Amino acid sequence: MAKIGVFICHCGENIGAKVDCTKLAAAMGEHPGVAVSVEYKYFCSDPGQESVKRAIRDNNLTGVVVAACSPRMHEATFRKACAEAGLNPYLCEIANIREQCSWVHTDSDQATEKAMDITRSMVEKVKRNNKLQPIEVPVTRRALVIGGGIAGIQAALDIANAGQEVVLVEREPTLGGHMAQLSETFPTLDCSQCIMTPRMVEAAQHPKIRLLTYAEIESVDGYIGNFSVRVRMKSRYVDIDKCTGCGDCITKCPAKKISSEFDCGLGKRTAIYTPFAQSVPNIPVIDKANCIYFKNGKCKICAKTCQCDAINFDMEDTFEDLEIGAIVVATGFQVQNNTMYGEYGYGKYPDVINGLQFERLASASGPTAGKILRPSDGVEPQTVVFIQCAGSRDPSKGVRYCSKICCMYTAKHAMLYSHKVHGGKTHIFYMDIRAAGKGYDEFSRRAIEDDEAAYLRGRVSKVWQENGKLMVRGVDTLLGRPVEIAADMVVLATAIIAQPDAKEFAKTIGIGYDEYGFYNEAHLKLRPVESSTAGVFLAGACQSPKDIPDSVAQASATASKVLALFSKDMLEREPVVATNNEATCAGCWGCVLACPYNAIEQKDILDRSGKVIKRVASVNPGLCQGCGTCVTFCRSNSLDLAGFTEKQIFAEVMGL
Amino acid sequence: MSIEEQYRTRAKELLSGGAVKMVIGYGKGSTSDRRRPLFISSTDEVDRLVLDDACIQNLSGYLVSEGLLSDEKRVAVFLRPEGIRAINILAAESQLDAEQIVIFGFDVIGTEVKALKGIHVEEFSDVINSIKKGAPEAKEEELFEKIEKMSPQERFSFWQEEFAKCIKCYACRQACPMCYCRRCIVDSNQPQWVNTSSHTLGNFEWNIVRAFHLSGRCVECGNCDRACPVNIPLRLINHRMAEEVLGAFDHFAGMSKTQEPVLASFKKDDSETFIL
Ligand SMILES: Cc1cc2nc3c(=O)[nH]c(=O)nc-3n(C[C@H](O)[C@H](O)[C@H](O)COP(=O)(O)OP(=O)(O)OC[C@H]3O[C@@H](n4cnc5c(N)ncnc54)[C@H](O)[C@@H]3O)c2cc1C
Ligand code: SF4
Ligand code: SF4
Ligand code: SF4
Ligand code: SF4
Repeated sequence: MAKIGVFICHCGENIGAKVDCTKLAAAMGEHPGVAVSVEYKYFCSDPGQESVKRAIRDNNLTGVVVAACSPRMHEATFRKACAEAGLNPYLCEIANIREQCSWVHTDSDQATEKAMDITRSMVEKVKRNNKLQPIEVPVTRRALVIGGGIAGIQAALDIANAGQEVVLVEREPTLGGHMAQLSETFPTLDCSQCIMTPRMVEAAQHPKIRLLTYAEIESVDGYIGNFSVRVRMKSRYVDIDKCTGCGDCITKCPAKKISSEFDCGLGKRTAIYTPFAQSVPNIPVIDKANCIYFKNGKCKICAKTCQCDAINFDMEDTFEDLEIGAIVVATGFQVQNNTMYGEYGYGKYPDVINGLQFERLASASGPTAGKILRPSDGVEPQTVVFIQCAGSRDPSKGVRYCSKICCMYTAKHAMLYSHKVHGGKTHIFYMDIRAAGKGYDEFSRRAIEDDEAAYLRGRVSKVWQENGKLMVRGVDTLLGRPVEIAADMVVLATAIIAQPDAKEFAKTIGIGYDEYGFYNEAHLKLRPVESSTAGVFLAGACQSPKDIPDSVAQASATASKVLALFSKDMLEREPVVATNNEATCAGCWGCVLACPYNAIEQKDILDRSGKVIKRVASVNPGLCQGCGTCVTFCRSNSLDLAGFTEKQIFAEVMGL
Repeated sequence: MSIEEQYRTRAKELLSGGAVKMVIGYGKGSTSDRRRPLFISSTDEVDRLVLDDACIQNLSGYLVSEGLLSDEKRVAVFLRPEGIRAINILAAESQLDAEQIVIFGFDVIGTEVKALKGIHVEEFSDVINSIKKGAPEAKEEELFEKIEKMSPQERFSFWQEEFAKCIKCYACRQACPMCYCRRCIVDSNQPQWVNTSSHTLGNFEWNIVRAFHLSGRCVECGNCDRACPVNIPLRLINHRMAEEVLGAFDHFAGMSKTQEPVLASFKKDDSETFIL
């Protein structure tokens, strides 16, 4: 005979103010099979849990229903309490009468009515619950970090410095990401490459870090603690083991007029190239699309130049299969292409550039060796207009959100410009100045007070060319009048957007993303560095626009999550796994395909003489994640999920 | 030589040489315009085979009868294009080995019977492709158009009335080559998801389950529709489901013997219009 205990929690006012808990307790007390039905202000408190334990012992309860908040909050708490009282934890269920009831209803009577339905339904379910034992799975102590920007490098270093193995995968020929492209960094104006390159070298030389550059993730299978990852090593056409990085080939390559991605089109590179001088690893790649040999079968000058015989035109992509325990995604961001803002003239006038291009102009290693020269004629601009929020906070044409870093880097650009061009004038069109952060407001004040950046509050309506000048028309909303400025150069603080392939990539690794392609955290406030997939963590600007301090902090946070995971030999897993009824299975094997974790195998059933009499599906409980996909697929209802069996679900539905 | 004679000759050859152990075809039925399935294992019976425009039943379902193919011997079967597609699905769902099936393909255009060239299922992919292209207009009929034009409420009451007639005889299931389950979900009583009594709710449950189980699998052979003793227009439901999967996933049931079942597989570029 079932002896179920029902524990109704007020959650202070959260439930108590809407649901008549006394009435609910009385009604549940009447329900067949319920031995105890009580209410209490906070069952999750120590005395609350104690009272549950006591009730279990005193009444020999066979099952427990706690009517309270979402099981995401306290299922673990109450299951543990039950276990401590000697009841199998899987005989405890939560009836969610807060998120699914009191919080979303205004009418008290109706809410009480619904709370009764929800609780009764769980009582009916729990009567059919079975005792289950958690499953233990081993943990592979090797982390995969995807993306070699500052976030990825930091995460990799933190994990490796704690003694765990890391594989760092970067799809470009070098580590560095965007930070390698920056000139100096707010709010301290230290040189970006000077602080970045030591990190890159440290990561590359770390005995615990295996660096795979020019590599892409092909597929990710498995689950927390036990992922199998396939990496495509794109062919560099340069043997990484033979090349010494002397760079002779680069000097000799006759294809010299290729627009440099690293310099955002402001500089040129050769077909065999490293993106920048301090690239890590310092091994060139051949850009097949622009290589003369690949285009018309003649050249190979680089191969003739190379002393080490490192160049191999027959190289093909290869694959690496990795066993991985945890994944850190640090794939970063892109800047928006502002050709969509026709009125700003980006893409039309060469002297209208974006912020990242300005970084390259201001960078000592950039195409102008750090001199601010305008792209059209190499002349030093005397008046520069900066346009903030070019694409951000613009639901009609750009993105709705604030890109967070442009206010700060524009202030930085104005400062760098005034340091480099004495007597030069800067005008900054802005909507608000968002300078929240340690030392940030002080930094933007410095731009105004020490470096005479002229801030104009208002939007720009049009940029056009007239008499060799870029005419910028906008409004100064504080003075309430239109303004027109004749500028030599215009810099657009373009929106920070997700990588163009972010959504595709999210599907490859199986994580969620928002409408823009930024990756979703499990909980914005409480679990900001975890994705909704167990064992996959998020660092840096792939989650939302971020500056360097935030990216680094988040990266270290992911490292601590990974290390916590690696501190265990075995992971305990919920015993929620599928089983198959071989007698009724029709052997269609749709479930084999449907299972996202490849947990279902084909199985032959043989007679005594070894002849196949039947072919069926068979679930490997070690691999099954309990998602239930196969159960919903199976037409003949042969599959069933422990903890959520057909009988339990049916009872739950009928209990409503 | 008529196609009937050609196929009789071929059947004789195959049986006498032992290339196939059985030929499944059509024989005379209870009235002059009906044909019934014929299972022939000796050459003496071959002359009872009939092939004309009255041969409409899809015979592929008989191939999955328990034990028929387990000796790995070949079986020949008369099939229209729909039946050939059914072989592909059965092979894709591991119910048979397509190598074991020798096809006597034919199609009926108007009243004329036309032979389809080929022996094994792979050889008919052109035929199948051309039906995929012509699929919608060929099948559409007045009643279908009428239902399409109804409001959801009207459509619901239309089907409510139709399903009210259902007597839960499961003739539709028995006739369907895709309903090969050893235990149909409606026969599972622990728990009893689908009500056994033939009241409106139970009938709805059954017919909806059936529609879902056949979406992306039904080849629109019409076996169920013809089997239904109370004339529920089941073909319309099946056709609508076929249109849905074709539109949403470019899935045309039975294209090949390795086609992945539409409800068990996904492509990264599948439309996700159903996610709100
Ligand atoms: C114009 C400009 C100026 C800035 N100035 C400052 C400043 O002064 N101070 C400051 O604090 N911040 C500044 N920032 C912000 C700073 O650039 C970012 O905070 C930082 O680069 C974020 O690092 P990340 O590692 O998250 O991303 P990224 O730097 O974008 O690195 C991501 C890396 O992942 C790689 N990757 C992407 N997808 C894949 C994949 N599928 N597989 C493998 N690898 C992949 C990329 O190639 C890249 O190397 C500025 C940004 C801009 C645009
Ligand atoms: S889906 Fe069901 S019937 Fe088909 S193989 Fe899997 S368990 Fe068996
Ligand atoms: S519940 Fe089924 S589909 Fe999900 S992981 Fe387990 S076996 Fe695979
Ligand atoms: S054949 Fe017709 S009456 Fe019989 S179960 Fe199917 S729909 Fe109902
Ligand atoms: S209706 Fe569904 S469960 Fe029943 S036999 Fe057909 S496919 Fe199998």
